[in-house]
Amino acid sequence: MSVIFIPTLDDSQDDYEWMFRARETLLLQTDKVELSFLFCQRISPAAVAFLGGLIRLAERQHIVVTVNWQTVTDENVLKFLRHNGFANNFGGKSHGWDNHCIPYREDAVEDPNGVMDYLTDNWIGCGWVLVSEQLKNAIVGKMWEIYTNSFEHGLSPVGVFSCGHHFSRKNELALTVVDFGLGIASNVKEFLKSDPRSATLTSSACVEWALQKGNSTSNLKVARGLGLDLLRSFVTINKGSLELYSNSAYALMNKDGVTIKDLDVGFSGTIVQIKLKCDERLYRLKSEVPS
Amino acid sequence: MKILMKDIFGIRCIALSDGQKLHDLIIDDLKLGNPVILDFSGIKQFASPFFNLSIGQIMTEISEGEFRRLLSLENLDETGKYVVGQVISNASQYHGDADYKRIVDEILDRQAKGEDEE
Repeated sequence: MSVIFIPTLDDSQDDYEWMFRARETLLLQTDKVELSFLFCQRISPAAVAFLGGLIRLAERQHIVVTVNWQTVTDENVLKFLRHNGFANNFGGKSHGWDNHCIPYREDAVEDPNGVMDYLTDNWIGCGWVLVSEQLKNAIVGKMWEIYTNSFEHGLSPVGVFSCGHHFSRKNELALTVVDFGLGIASNVKEFLKSDPRSATLTSSACVEWALQKGNSTSNLKVARGLGLDLLRSFVTINKGSLELYSNSAYALMNKDGVTIKDLDVGFSGTIVQIKLKCDERLYRLKSEVPS
Repeated sequence: MKILMKDIFGIRCIALSDGQKLHDLIIDDLKLGNPVILDFSGIKQFASPFFNLSIGQIMTEISEGEFRRLLSLENLDETGKYVVGQVISNASQYHGDADYKRIVDEILDRQAKGEDEE
């Protein structure tokens, strides 16, 4: 049996690159694999969603992966994994509920009502942002765009994985959605494959194209490509951020604009992380602004 | 024909498959020149995939004049109106088959600019 030691995983680019390399390592294994948390002192909700999905991906390739719960010695990491439901999914114990955790969730197939209930009740509806019912509905409608993109374009063999958290100190509400499909750049290249030059396109240039309003790789003969634009407008207004890792591209969208670059390492799939500021003053429908 | 959307789709008009279902339900009437009213009373959550496949697709199949004359949307809330507005604006700029060569030119051009900036 081989052992993969999970380090402390926050939200830095190095942390994501470690996860992408761990994916490659894990999927090359032919024997049983144990995940050890001995050196992990913190773990982000994005890492939880990614690791959960990665375990399912390995299982699909008949690689047996176990989490060694004896190695989760850091009390905060253990609490976090138990509270958000990850432990319960992978052989650990459940531990009641912490209302700052947005539960770890697996969607093997598209389940619009299940996802919308999750977003409405467990994410925006937990009371960290006091907004009207109508605005709550408007926000979750925008978040659905991420899921529908993952299901339609992602072609993930194991589905879509989510996890989130309310960060009290930053007063921020985060949600990460991960799929292990083709990734945006691969989708764009596949879409453009009739032109041989498409093979030379970088991931970042493909993602930049895909992020523009109206651009889509969908083969349905109707106008598409609004989802990410709607979300980007939303996080800009609300001083939040939208981050995206796909193939070897990284994109950050916030009030300062859009930054896109290529990383040294990537993965087949897409991670989208949205962070919203929990400040009611930043959330208003036009009809709710006093005249 | 008048359709109470809530009876068919519950409180959500969000999914691609539901958008296609609505399209299939009304396209024949519209092509025959029969008016269709969609009543969104009670619909609370909206997303663009639903409207891309319903309204966006209909816009590729009948003329803009017929679309405006025959299809009425009633009782959309503020979010619904915004999403529908975005979908109609996007669909009106849609030109059908993609020009792959032009897209590759466009991406390569951006890529070159990006390399120059490094």
